[in-house]
Amino acid sequence: MAKLLEYKCPSCGGALKFDSSVQKMKCPYCGTEFEMEALKNYDDILNQEQPDDMKWETQAGSEWKTGETDNMIIYTCKSCGGEIVGDQNLGATSCPFCGNPVVMMGQFSGDLRPDYVIPFKLDKQAAKDGLVKHLKGKRLLPKQFKSQNRINEIKGVYVPFWLFDADATGKVRYKATRVRAWSDEDYNYTETSYFSVYREGEIGFEKIPVDGSSKIADDLMESIEPFYFEDAVDFQTAYLAGYLADRYDVTVNQSIERANERIKHSTEENFAATVQGYSSVITESSSIQLSNGNAKYALYPVWMLSTTWNGKNYTFAMNGQTGKFVGDLPLDKGAYWRWFFSLSVIFSIIFYAIFWIAF
Amino acid sequence: MKKQWKRFFLGIIIFVCMFLGIVNENVAAYNSGHLPRLVDEGDLLTDEEERRLIEKLDDISGRQQCDVIIVTTGSLNGKTTTEYADDYFDYNGYGLGNEKDGILLLVSMRERNWAISTHGAAIDAFTDAGQEAMTDQFIPKLSEGDYLDAFNQFAELCDDFLTQAATGEPYDVNNLDSEDSIFAMPGVRIGLAIGSGCLLAFIVVSVMKGTLKSVRSQAAASSYIRPGSLHIIKSYDYFLYRHISKTAKPKDHNSGGSSTHVSSSGSTHGGSSGSF
Repeated sequence: MAKLLEYKCPSCGGALKFDSSVQKMKCPYCGTEFEMEALKNYDDILNQEQPDDMKWETQAGSEWKTGETDNMIIYTCKSCGGEIVGDQNLGATSCPFCGNPVVMMGQFSGDLRPDYVIPFKLDKQAAKDGLVKHLKGKRLLPKQFKSQNRINEIKGVYVPFWLFDADATGKVRYKATRVRAWSDEDYNYTETSYFSVYREGEIGFEKIPVDGSSKIADDLMESIEPFYFEDAVDFQTAYLAGYLADRYDVTVNQSIERANERIKHSTEENFAATVQGYSSVITESSSIQLSNGNAKYALYPVWMLSTTWNGKNYTFAMNGQTGKFVGDLPLDKGAYWRWFFSLSVIFSIIFYAIFWIAF
Repeated sequence: MKKQWKRFFLGIIIFVCMFLGIVNENVAAYNSGHLPRLVDEGDLLTDEEERRLIEKLDDISGRQQCDVIIVTTGSLNGKTTTEYADDYFDYNGYGLGNEKDGILLLVSMRERNWAISTHGAAIDAFTDAGQEAMTDQFIPKLSEGDYLDAFNQFAELCDDFLTQAATGEPYDVNNLDSEDSIFAMPGVRIGLAIGSGCLLAFIVVSVMKGTLKSVRSQAAASSYIRPGSLHIIKSYDYFLYRHISKTAKPKDHNSGGSSTHVSSSGSTHGGSSGSF
């Protein structure tokens, strides 16, 4: 016996009825007609949907060996509370997060031992050059900001990252449209055809980094990505000599959410790239199942400079591996309006001349 | 008896004199081609206004060698406004030159309709698009009861249109747009230039401002996809439904020119009509 099914209109969500005059399912609310076959297929896909399953093995990091941390000292910033780790020989320094002199020192203890480290590939001179280049050609940057920059205080910091590896199985449903237009003597016609598109597949992710320090803004660290894991080596305290190391204060479990977001988004995006021949493709639902998910703890090299301008803190960061330099800069409002008004006058005259000639 | 005969003859003489006088007056008017160019049967204007308007119409008609006539009437006697206007033109001997060039504006007060009838060279001088542009300007004044203003403007527009037609290119779709376009007004042009200038300047400084910002989150993790790990196992593309929308095409105004019809006397007229 045929099961009595209730189909919902994919266009407006209303309950569909069979219209005997057209021998099709028809939505009494929006008037859209559907072939039975199309609805059945659509319904099958909907029934297959399941929630995300994004679980991780989080055995990141390991215990320190005896004596390994003897030379390591914690510097605590009196101003912002930031904690950094350095070796004993580093001496007095200033806080890489807020620029204040660091005063308190204490013996390093606790924390996990990193699994990997990408050693610095670019030296301090490269970082200074990077900053000069970053400030160059920015016409709306306040002039004093350039001159006052404490370029020498740029510091090499090993930033703690949680690295996530996983294989993802994704089931993604898209709503796609195809638009066709034609016209006859009196009317222009636009036909929009709606398709339900389904993609199921696998995709693997390796070493997605999530910033493990709350003192360093996540978007700042994501801006200097990517880091290439090929250069990573097993962690040795020797690599820290001459550099600072930030302590992680965001646990691996707290970082998972960000990794999941990026995995989900990337999966939807990459599957969508296989949906071709449509005018628009919108993700309607996606379900991601992770397998072999595991996390590692690594230190990545970042050159950092923090400076204060008109009471606001500006932090610059350079990827110590690739040299990518980022950092938001202050706006010179006076210069902004000067440029706006002078350009407005010039462009208005040009436009008026064009109108004069053309009409 | 003598007295009676005298009276009779006197009566006949007076009657004949009156009759001749009327005929003479008519013949005079007819010969010079000049029934008055303003016939105000609807009595919308004062005598003084009529006199001045007739002077104006005579002046324009004489200069342009094309009759410009305004007729107001109470009733159309069962004709359409266009028929009435055509017949009024044909049967009252209007029109100058061999082709009887002329334009007649008829305003019927009872039906509150108007019609324009053109004849001879005026057919080409007042194109369909040209008449539309004219009536757009003075018909609103008729609606408001501002008759003198409306008629004066009609006369001035006719003058302008006939001057333009004399250049060999009467106002039509292709030259009316640019002529009427607000774009031709210097104030609008300056305003538009300043508007676009400021907009472009804003875009440029926004781009300059944008270079100051370099910190952005990464939504995806595309750099960390294991090479070659993407495999699509199942893929379906199902057609669901379609929507068709239709919009009326804008009417093609590009043809231009003047449309004509034949009046009851058999002569060809151009024109247009409407209500106010």
